Amino acid sequence: MTEMVKTEGLQFKYPGGQAFEFPDIILNSQEHLLVLGPSGVGKTTLLHLLSGILPASSGSIVINETEITALDRKGLDLFRGAYVGLIFQQYHFIKSLNVDENLRLRQNFPKKTMDKERRLAIAERLGLTPYLKKKVTQLSQGQQQRLSIALGLIHRPQVVFADEPTSNLDDFNCDQVIKLLKDEAELCGSSLVIITHDQRVTQHFSNQIVL
Amino acid sequence: MNLLYLAYRNMVSKPLNMVLSLVLLVLSVSLVTFVLQLGKQLNGQMDKNIAPVDMVVGAKGSPLQLVLSSVLHIDVPTGNIKLGEAESIKNHPFVGSAISVSYGDNYKGYRILGTEPSYLDNYGVVLSAGGPFERPFEIVAGNTVAKKLGLQIGDKITSSHGLAAAGGESHDDNPYTIVGILEPSGTVVDQLLICDLQSVWDAHANHGGEEHEEDEKHEEGEHDHEEHDHDQEGHDHKEHEGGEEVHDEANSTGQDLEDHDDELEITSLLVKFKSPLGLVQLPRFINENTNMQAALPGFEIQRLMGFLGSGVKTINGIAFAILFVSGFSIFISLLKTIRERRQELALLRTYGLGTRKLLFLVLFEGLLLALIGFWLGWVFGRLALVLASGYIESGYGYVLQLNGPDLPELLLFGVTLVIAIIAVLLASTSIFKLNISKTLADV
Repeated sequence: MTEMVKTEGLQFKYPGGQAFEFPDIILNSQEHLLVLGPSGVGKTTLLHLLSGILPASSGSIVINETEITALDRKGLDLFRGAYVGLIFQQYHFIKSLNVDENLRLRQNFPKKTMDKERRLAIAERLGLTPYLKKKVTQLSQGQQQRLSIALGLIHRPQVVFADEPTSNLDDFNCDQVIKLLKDEAELCGSSLVIITHDQRVTQHFSNQIVL
Repeated sequence: MNLLYLAYRNMVSKPLNMVLSLVLLVLSVSLVTFVLQLGKQLNGQMDKNIAPVDMVVGAKGSPLQLVLSSVLHIDVPTGNIKLGEAESIKNHPFVGSAISVSYGDNYKGYRILGTEPSYLDNYGVVLSAGGPFERPFEIVAGNTVAKKLGLQIGDKITSSHGLAAAGGESHDDNPYTIVGILEPSGTVVDQLLICDLQSVWDAHANHGGEEHEEDEKHEEGEHDHEEHDHDQEGHDHKEHEGGEEVHDEANSTGQDLEDHDDELEITSLLVKFKSPLGLVQLPRFINENTNMQAALPGFEIQRLMGFLGSGVKTINGIAFAILFVSGFSIFISLLKTIRERRQELALLRTYGLGTRKLLFLVLFEGLLLALIGFWLGWVFGRLALVLASGYIESGYGYVLQLNGPDLPELLLFGVTLVIAIIAVLLASTSIFKLNISKTLADV
């Protein structure tokens, strides 16, 4: 069993602001992790550090046996594109493209993989099939949530980082989304790291750390 | 799904952002291409029209007017000259060919030009139907005239006095018969109705006094014959005695002719030199020693273009100023769209697109705009040319052609692209400073 995520002595300090120290994380591949913590303890910061969109002040982050703190900007972009899936708290899409085109765009970088079957399959599982030709701005909140899950997983990443994926959902949908996330991750063989303050999620994951 | 497509979708998803830039670009490109084409084609046509004529000899007045009226047929003549005096020039040893032209009438706005058959040879125009004019009141129609007026061989037309379509008395008593139609030549000949000199003299002899009878016209015809004989004699003389003496000799011949017939006049004489020395000596000689004037079409047209050139430069200057404003506008629009799409650009970074690819994305968008703008501007420029063509053709008899893009236009295209690229580079500095983490966390 290889280690998918491993951090040691991870610290981050905003310029002239808050400083965060994070506990060491070790996550084996195809296993999942729930990071719990109240607002303001640096959950989103941790997620940004792990996905390499924010450089750590000190410490090491090894993802899929790559020390990402040693990568330059271009190397990070490529690494993130290939191995990491991100599901944001706020949904981000390319607004000028429709649902299907957004999925195709995510499939295309950094390596061109025009896997139409996968696109249709994931859309089917997430109930997005009727909306593939719709503009992303026309989707409902729940549909946008499912599209962002699809975008986080469509390129078969090694590890998926999800930031508060359930915060805006009622109990029923919360369970649904977590189930979808876990199912998709298992289908792709991806590790799942969920960062949340939502206590409802705890029952679904055995592997937990608290910030 | 490639970057080009994404750039295209980005552009069409918010078209209003780019409309101002596009309008400015279209305006400047159409202005420049229109002026370039107009100048080039008018120059080309004028060059073609003046090429067969080295020197025009006509009545004293403005040399430019003489050239415009007798060679390009777009102005009124400076007056008439005596046929005899003109004949004397013909015999000068430096003169290769000299063709008399005489005009003053029109048919529906197209000039009727009395001249010698060699006029057509000089322009290299050949008949497409019918035969050449051989007798008075036989007329050969230029291609455009025939097409515009639907003239056929055998048609009878009555000329009107004057050079403009409107007004003028018509010479109903002396109809011309169309005997030939010319091939298109792209020269002023296309716009003319051509007959012999005698027709013009006869038409005006009749016009002058209604009482003149057919017999008298005959007499005039005979006079003409005599002149011709005389001319031949003079010519022979000259060859015997050599070039130096020709001037006096020719002058006296002219004197003789004047005695013979005071009334025979032509509008001008179109001269082609045999030797380059003619260009140096003849114009000065004619201007100083006769009561005619000599004008050099090449020189006069160059002078005219010099006057017009400053106008063209001004328009081009304005057009280029608009082009730069358009570049600035592209810069502002791109800056705005980059700012609006900050989060999308950050998202693309998390998808694995490097800053260089994001730069390409914006570059494609800018270049797409430049391409569309240039293309539309080029099309509008050509449309303007079509509109101008109708106006210029009715006013001056020039037909403007629609050509494909030429070298100066390709250069303009290059300039447009460079401006767009500079605008993109200036606008996209923020891409290099994009803070993905902060941008994505912002709501």
